[in-house]
Amino acid sequence: MRRFRTTFASLLAATLLVVAGCSDGSSGSTADAGAPVSGGSLTWAVETEPITFNPHQYAQAKARLLVWNTFEALLTHDDQGGYLPWLATGYEVSPDGKAYTFKLRTGVTFSDGGRFDAAAVKANIDQLLTPNYAPTVAGVQLKNLDTVEVKDDSTVVLHLKKPDVLILDFVSSPQGAQVSPKSLKEAKNLKAGGPELAGTGPFVLDRYTPGQEVHFTKNPAYDWAPANAGHTGPAYLNEITYRFLKESSVRVGALTSGQVQVIEGVPATDESLVTAGRDFSLARGLNSGSAYSYYFNTAHAPFDDVLVRQAFREALDVPAVLNGVYRSTATRAWSVIGPTSPFYDKSLEGGYSGNAAKANQLLDQAGWATKDAEGFRTKNGKRLTVRLVQSAPFVRDRRDVLAQAVQAAVKQSAGIDVQVQLVDQGTATKALTDGEYELFDNSRADTDAGAALNLLLYSTGAINRTGYKSPELDKLLDDAVATTDRAERARIYQRLQQLVVTEQALVLPLYAPQDQIAASKTVGGVAFEPTAGVPGSAYNLWLSK
Amino acid sequence: MIRPILRRVGAGVLVLWAAATAAYLALLAAPGDTVDAIIGDGADTPLIRAQIIQEWHLDRPAVVQYADFLWRAVHGDLGRSYLLQRPVAEVIGGQLAPTLKLAATAAGFGILLALVLALVARRPWVRRLSSTTELVLVSTPPFLIGIVLLSVFSFRLGWFPVSGDRGAAALVLPAITMGLPIAGTLAQVLRDGLDRALEEPFAVTARSRGLRERSVLVRHALKHALLPAVTMLGWSFGVLIGGTVIIEQVFGRPGLGQVTVQAVSSSDLPVVLAVVILAAAVFVVINTVTDLAYLLIDPRLRRS
Repeated sequence: MRRFRTTFASLLAATLLVVAGCSDGSSGSTADAGAPVSGGSLTWAVETEPITFNPHQYAQAKARLLVWNTFEALLTHDDQGGYLPWLATGYEVSPDGKAYTFKLRTGVTFSDGGRFDAAAVKANIDQLLTPNYAPTVAGVQLKNLDTVEVKDDSTVVLHLKKPDVLILDFVSSPQGAQVSPKSLKEAKNLKAGGPELAGTGPFVLDRYTPGQEVHFTKNPAYDWAPANAGHTGPAYLNEITYRFLKESSVRVGALTSGQVQVIEGVPATDESLVTAGRDFSLARGLNSGSAYSYYFNTAHAPFDDVLVRQAFREALDVPAVLNGVYRSTATRAWSVIGPTSPFYDKSLEGGYSGNAAKANQLLDQAGWATKDAEGFRTKNGKRLTVRLVQSAPFVRDRRDVLAQAVQAAVKQSAGIDVQVQLVDQGTATKALTDGEYELFDNSRADTDAGAALNLLLYSTGAINRTGYKSPELDKLLDDAVATTDRAERARIYQRLQQLVVTEQALVLPLYAPQDQIAASKTVGGVAFEPTAGVPGSAYNLWLSK
Repeated sequence: MIRPILRRVGAGVLVLWAAATAAYLALLAAPGDTVDAIIGDGADTPLIRAQIIQEWHLDRPAVVQYADFLWRAVHGDLGRSYLLQRPVAEVIGGQLAPTLKLAATAAGFGILLALVLALVARRPWVRRLSSTTELVLVSTPPFLIGIVLLSVFSFRLGWFPVSGDRGAAALVLPAITMGLPIAGTLAQVLRDGLDRALEEPFAVTARSRGLRERSVLVRHALKHALLPAVTMLGWSFGVLIGGTVIIEQVFGRPGLGQVTVQAVSSSDLPVVLAVVILAAAVFVVINTVTDLAYLLIDPRLRRS
């Protein structure tokens, strides 16, 4: 049995987080905005217009900051890999790890007047399991859910088919957020979401202009913020507008000319424009989940040979290509798990070094000893060519440019021919299904890194592109979610990282994805969401007078 | 009178059907299927695939889906967006007004500027200057024009807001961005037409009647120069609709462009088809209007 300890420690951590303004050590803006004041309206320019405003359908990490304005979950993440009460006041796990009992907060209402209670929680999960509604949630997060039991008005029990600690991550996630049962029944465009979906959050989404902006108004009745939210009671701001500006230079211009007060998504090339003046601050947060990595396809040559996989890693001077593309703003990754995760194995750092001589020696050893006229290595007359297929609609952070930098680097250092194909989604999926690739690039923003690893590494994982199947790896992944003991999970994931990163060299971790927020110094409370590392909701933002 | 109109409407419907069918076939031929597009870069398991197929009835043969689409389209039902989960009519309907507003304003500005440039800049050195400027405008990507205009008039001077469809002020910069290349092309065509007309015998006759050069230009030559310019304008409306994609992206404006790009890149078939039908309809209307304009401008065509 485990209970919450909403003690001084978590409150202190929350306060520190708010004061520091960010999780990456850059300066936040809070100090300049003075003490919090209520009132005012703020405009925030965001890069991504969400495909949906229904939290159950959530699939874009860039949309997370909008979700928590309107909707709330049973639990929320602290910044230590643990959970804090939110709409639930606490939870208990049965000794066999198959029953999670949640005590719900009373006196919580949805913005449409409906009461939040155990029946509402059940209605939400029932909805998620409705065929054709949220197949990804039903097939991944809820795959081990057996039944939902309403014990009384304020107690709900999730019975699992087998122990799965990731159910806690689910009830803290946007997909597990609570939508008013009335909206679930009556909304015309339920899956699209929008003003017709009511939540319990500190703001109400009251206006959405596709292609332009979404507008939220304060929920004056709000009084159930989690302990790490920065304050209690209603939000400070009366209203907030998020404007969709896809061009980063336009976002920065809108900020520096005072047309918006906050922006997210500031690429390295535009940073100097923000930091040049004294009126703006810039903060970076590292995302949770898996690092942005290249996964080697071990199903066929040349990466079926561990020597070639190791050689590829040694052939690439990762800091050099990162600096070339992102200047000094990127954080190098050493493991498949992001460096902010409690499961990250720090001992992996420095494990391979971008040593070109070693790369060449490994390739000689693997039989790729000859070179053709263009300087590429060959074996039995076949060139050492590897293909990286990128789906254009999903390329972000200039990953296409990074791929070109990698291409040039490994050609020069070890004579490896990387062919980068930037294609449409259909072509990319087809290439992946047909195994017509040797490198696969991916990062996932899951709050519990284990959720990402299950998809990427499990032998039957939904996005396992390494083709590597091993009973040992599957068992590690199974064991790691079968226990609620965080130290034990960390031990298991450490072994897993040793296996995947060091011994098998299945992956070339490149960088830890991050988010940036630039804000006018009149804005206080700018912060990243604990654990997730993405921009937080507007609840704790204020505008100094 | 009735017959030619009926013939035109019939041809218009045929064009709409052909456009929709061509778009349908193109999307069918593209690699990957609708299920791939809906899954995107998310989790991909047989269970998830089965549910998507069931939800959108994708297990039916392509011909049946096509026939079903046509049948419902004829009855005014364009279906639901795979991606946005809303009725297509709603997705497109909300974006139509901002796009048309922008296209019309940009065209108006472009025509006005072209007329001024062609009629006023007649002295040799002014002509050269104007002509060079027009060429530069035509060959500069609208994206760049937009960013430059934004930097100067929005970010630096603060005269106009950067984004959205919010009142007249927000329309100025995008309309200028789109209108400038049109003005550039149109002015060149107009000037050529004017030059040719001024050398025709009727211009000499007019001058010999003692008419001043300005009056010859505006009252006689302009009518002749307008014919190719109107043809040009019909064409540039198509360019305008296509150009809105970039303008919307730069200026954060709502509109059809963004919706279309998103729909194409995610194989959102219902939305793509609706946009294609709409664009074809706009083209049919514009071509009809241009044909009527010919009749107005040139009395000779009315007789034949």
